[in-house]
Amino acid sequence: MLRADENPSRSLYFLNWWLDAAAIGGLSIVAFVVARLFAGGGERTLEIAQAAAILSVFVNYPHFSATVYRLYESRDSARQFPVTSYGLPFVLLAAVAASLWQPELVAPYFILLFLIWSPYHYSGQTLGITMIYARRAGFGIGQWQRFALSTFIFSTFVVALVHRQRVEPTGSYGVILPAIAFPDWFEPVVTTAMWAGAAVFLWFIIGWCRARRQMLPPIVLLPAVSQYVWFMPGMQTAAFYEFVPLFHSLQYLYIAWAMQVGLHVGREGQERSWRSIRAVSVKWGLWNYVGGILLFIALPWLFFWVPLPMALIAGVLIAAVNIHHFFVDGVIWKLRHAPSTSPLMTNVADLAAPPRAAQA
Amino acid sequence: MRPAHLAASSLLLMVGPAVAEEAPLAAFTAPLTGREVFLAVVIGAMMACGLASFFLAGRVSDRTQIALAMFVVLIGAFGLLVLFGGFIYGSTIGAVAIVLLLIGLFKLMNQFEGARKKPPGTKSQDRA
Repeated sequence: MLRADENPSRSLYFLNWWLDAAAIGGLSIVAFVVARLFAGGGERTLEIAQAAAILSVFVNYPHFSATVYRLYESRDSARQFPVTSYGLPFVLLAAVAASLWQPELVAPYFILLFLIWSPYHYSGQTLGITMIYARRAGFGIGQWQRFALSTFIFSTFVVALVHRQRVEPTGSYGVILPAIAFPDWFEPVVTTAMWAGAAVFLWFIIGWCRARRQMLPPIVLLPAVSQYVWFMPGMQTAAFYEFVPLFHSLQYLYIAWAMQVGLHVGREGQERSWRSIRAVSVKWGLWNYVGGILLFIALPWLFFWVPLPMALIAGVLIAAVNIHHFFVDGVIWKLRHAPSTSPLMTNVADLAAPPRAAQA
Repeated sequence: MRPAHLAASSLLLMVGPAVAEEAPLAAFTAPLTGREVFLAVVIGAMMACGLASFFLAGRVSDRTQIALAMFVVLIGAFGLLVLFGGFIYGSTIGAVAIVLLLIGLFKLMNQFEGARKKPPGTKSQDRA
């Protein structure tokens, strides 16, 4: 999960207001509004499912590949987290083998684990990105602020989980999962906790704004607001909800790209220019595109010989790739680098200009 | 009593103890169900992690040791989910408990192979 670094940043944005706002959640909110206005909440039509599937190849799949690329990019990176790099794939392979060996006993629970873990992971990313922008904006998030914000963010995912279980029977990824038997009181309790968390966090923000006599930059709140839109009203808008993983992936890719550029441009003898940024970006993008296809298309086909429905085989492997991603994402942001400033705190445009010492 | 009847009743008396002797043996050698085999695999995987931790002691960092311990927790949790996960569908309290436990598991796994704060006064042996 993304974590803010201690180094202060000169810029609030990774690139600029428009691109940051669009990638971090603005685009998803616009898409939600469009879906509500024109599709009227809509149904999950075949066309929408196909559009989401096609876009997945260019956004969702590369987002998984980006974590793998980051961890295994160099031997040094992989060695920093040996259990994650070399042990975890075997554990997950064993889980895949158990699921395919006992498709009725093990596979439904392996997929259930992934289905509950996935929105939790989204929530963690939302919290991480909020922390980064808060740090960039000079808004200190202490223990209580973090607790209030976490309560809000993580409650949205629990409310969505409870709600979804009531609305639809979950038949996906090749297995049919019965509805989880949540009690009637659970959703109101979690919803109350969610609004309480939001209220307390807003109270901290108002205090900060009054003390500083300035507005908190909206980008700090955008990840949390986006998550609310994704999981609360967005979930009831089928035409939009299909694209939520895409927007999560887009958010991730944007930060990961800035990180990659920050790590490589202007270092190892590379010049600081837009040309270098473009070269690093194209290489990174191509690797992740190919990596995504290998993970989600080639890998399931390797198991074609297993005498089970392809949907189930693909579902189990997608669950494994996702769980691997959740683990790897937890460590890659902690990788140690030689550079003095964290790439998470730099502005990409700054890397296009020669360093200040050279300019002087 | 005719000899044939005597022989038959003797046979019954002889077979009785034999059946009694075989009954416990049958219980031990009965074929395992899929669930039991899965449980055995889970226990084996947890033991493998424990053994890895034991044999790597002193050669790997504390962080790696903790990560191996977390694997034990993860594998055990998944084993329990497969064995008792049915409660999530049949019991309201079970559903809440299992979801909350899973969230706790995810939170724990967030710290997988990450640096942990040591209690004050503890010597660091982390070589990483």
